[in-house]
Amino acid sequence: MSAHRKPAAFRLDDPHVVVTSPDEPRGRGRATVLVTPEPEPASVVVAVEPLKARRRGLPWGALFWSALGGLVTLGFGLAVAQLIEDLFARSDALGYFALALAVLAAVALAAVVSREVAGLLRLNAVERLRERAEAALAADDHDGARAVVRDLLIVERVEPRLARARSEMQVHLKEIIDGADLVRLAERVLMAPLDDAARALVAAAAKRVSVVTAVSPRAAVDMAFVLVTVVGLVRRLADLYGARPGALGLVRLLRLTVAHLAVTGGMAASDSLIQQMLGHGVAAKVSARLGEGVLNGLLTARLGLAAIEVSRPLPFVALAKPSIGDLVGDLLRRRERADEAPRPAESGTPSPAA
Amino acid sequence: MPPTLSTIVEEARLAVQSLVEYAGGLVNPTLRLGVTGLTRAGKTVFITALVHNLLNGGRLPVFEALNSGRIARARLEPQPDDAVPRFDYEAHVRALVDERRWPESTRRISELRVVIDYQSANGRARTLTLDIVDYPGEWLLDLPLIGKSFADWSAETLRLSRQGPRAGLAAAWHAHLAALKPESPEDEHAALAAARLFTGYLKACRDERYAMSLLPPGRFLMPGDLAGSPALTFAPLELAATSPAPAGSLWAMMERRYEAYKLVVVRPFFRDHFARLDRQIVLVDALAAFNAGPAALHDLEGALTAILDCFRTGRRSWLSNLFRPRIDRLLFAATKADQLHHVNHDRLERILGRMTERAAGRARFAGAAIDAVALAAVRATREAIVVRGRERLPSIIGVPIAGETAGAGAFDGATEAAMFPGDLPDDPERLFTGPCEGFKGLTTSVAAEADYRFLRVRPPAPETSDRPVLPHIRLDRALQFLLGDHLA
Repeated sequence: MSAHRKPAAFRLDDPHVVVTSPDEPRGRGRATVLVTPEPEPASVVVAVEPLKARRRGLPWGALFWSALGGLVTLGFGLAVAQLIEDLFARSDALGYFALALAVLAAVALAAVVSREVAGLLRLNAVERLRERAEAALAADDHDGARAVVRDLLIVERVEPRLARARSEMQVHLKEIIDGADLVRLAERVLMAPLDDAARALVAAAAKRVSVVTAVSPRAAVDMAFVLVTVVGLVRRLADLYGARPGALGLVRLLRLTVAHLAVTGGMAASDSLIQQMLGHGVAAKVSARLGEGVLNGLLTARLGLAAIEVSRPLPFVALAKPSIGDLVGDLLRRRERADEAPRPAESGTPSPAA
Repeated sequence: MPPTLSTIVEEARLAVQSLVEYAGGLVNPTLRLGVTGLTRAGKTVFITALVHNLLNGGRLPVFEALNSGRIARARLEPQPDDAVPRFDYEAHVRALVDERRWPESTRRISELRVVIDYQSANGRARTLTLDIVDYPGEWLLDLPLIGKSFADWSAETLRLSRQGPRAGLAAAWHAHLAALKPESPEDEHAALAAARLFTGYLKACRDERYAMSLLPPGRFLMPGDLAGSPALTFAPLELAATSPAPAGSLWAMMERRYEAYKLVVVRPFFRDHFARLDRQIVLVDALAAFNAGPAALHDLEGALTAILDCFRTGRRSWLSNLFRPRIDRLLFAATKADQLHHVNHDRLERILGRMTERAAGRARFAGAAIDAVALAAVRATREAIVVRGRERLPSIIGVPIAGETAGAGAFDGATEAAMFPGDLPDDPERLFTGPCEGFKGLTTSVAAEADYRFLRVRPPAPETSDRPVLPHIRLDRALQFLLGDHLA
């Protein structure tokens, strides 16, 4: 901070004081003091999520599946025990070998289960982090924002490309920054590099899908290919943003992604999409397969964007949400792009804060 | 101090009282919200604005229950405690909205009951009864007296009165005190004179130029109906020994009256009001302390620490509900935040947090939630950037009340002015280092030299819309913190 500034008061009816409006700034003219009222911050509308209603009564469905699962597990255990007993009856050596196998299987199962649980917990943590970030933004909550950023640093601690951004953010944490501003800053510093990488991932997947669709001999083949690509894409996006879900987590993430797509009206053609389709309809006229390829690529891109929103630990506030327009451009321009050297920043990509 | 019979009886009464209230609360949940703060902290305005916003459905975006439309309506109901005056909400609203002047200050305890009909998040229609209790913060400063003997209190008060700017104000009283002999026979006139001079010293400390806060006993400043009674006619004495007072001496008389003060003033307040609160908001006028100088700021810190020592904070549990009432949420609010540009609000919160750090740590340990917020219950200013020469000053625009002075002349109460009150420091520690090094205030220098100058401004002109809404800063955040969980 510079030297302390002395307090001062200016009468607005003083001839040396001129009041201007923020919309039409004027030169100072002969006035020595210029007063510019600021727009009311109170008029900014804050959206507050209504509380979710708690479900009443017993969760019968969950009870049914748990009980059934328990029975199946018991039956399976019984069968294994029976098998080991039979083997012991035949020969001790066989029995011990089977027992060892069973123990090994149990240990491995425990490891797998704990990994899956950890994955689900991480996914949950990311979702909660996003909710808390939204709350901190809405309330401009100083402590809340600091807690969010600290937890975000923990979530992203394994991401090597953020090493520099992380240390930068550690420094910012100690400075005096308003709650909402801190969350926005964290988004610009920590999320921007990941957003670029995520966009590249989605674009690459969309390209692959469109090419394979265009050249594949059978519909079944490209259906399978699309499925595999999409699942892989969602997983890699989640890994990128730090959620690192296991197999169960991935299923949950796919469900969330599809739900998100439905909520945001993902399938509806946005104006940019129509524009792209009309502009490149010529290609479709030339070849039906090519048109289908472009469409499949578009759908993959949309799904990828939805997956980004679901697995990103902060909401899109300071940075622009990647739009289908950016990606479609990439998708259709791939031939020209291939000739060019890689560019530092793509069109419409906000560059990370320097 | 080992528990005496009277403290045990006191505890038993508290337990019975809370048991009775718990039984009533099962049918009709009631939340008692204590609103306090030292004189001119803005208690009356805060309650008026809070009730006005609740009744009229004001703009409170962060207050989830109201913003999502779950509050069906709020209404005033007759005040439940027969022995406590009603908070005169209607008169205060009239003063604020129609006459555009700040309502008169709190001189005694008062209470108001607001009933909120709402739908819980899972769809059930519910009712929450909110009892708002308004009492002067000075009374809070009496609570620590319960644990102090007359000798302790005398020594402490005398030590305080010889420090910093207080010494000058207490000169007349000190002179009288030097002539008094504690062992001399009791003398009503000597006691009267001492009490009068002592009260004069306390009143002088409260002047705008000094803005001291730590001034017990509180009833000396706000006597109410006890004015002139023996319980208010005592003063600290210079006591050499800690031996018991000789019978029939002035010392014995003063000691008796001090104990009487505790018995008739402090204990009943604690039992009947303070110990029954569920939630508490402490309003702090930090800006007045900035106006006055570092000594006032230190004093305010001391007063807040003393206040916090008497809060029985801690998480409410089923069992504690039955036996010991506890305050489970405590909010510190630096009021009049509208006299600062919003870039300084975070710094104000930080300074407040610094002042309440120690006590807040203890309350957190006991399980209570604590928050500090810079708010303005009624926002009387707009924000503006003033460009003077090459400086850009983040300022506020408002109408200073008649008689406030700045620079050349006094304001007439109708002229708008843009005011730059000074930058608060990034690091709160800078305000607290050394008694006079931190910054210059009115206590030690003239107005032109002061580092901070906050002028009082008139309430805002009413908005020309169909619904009368009082503008505010972060009142919604305070409400969400204090009431949000009960309206879930």
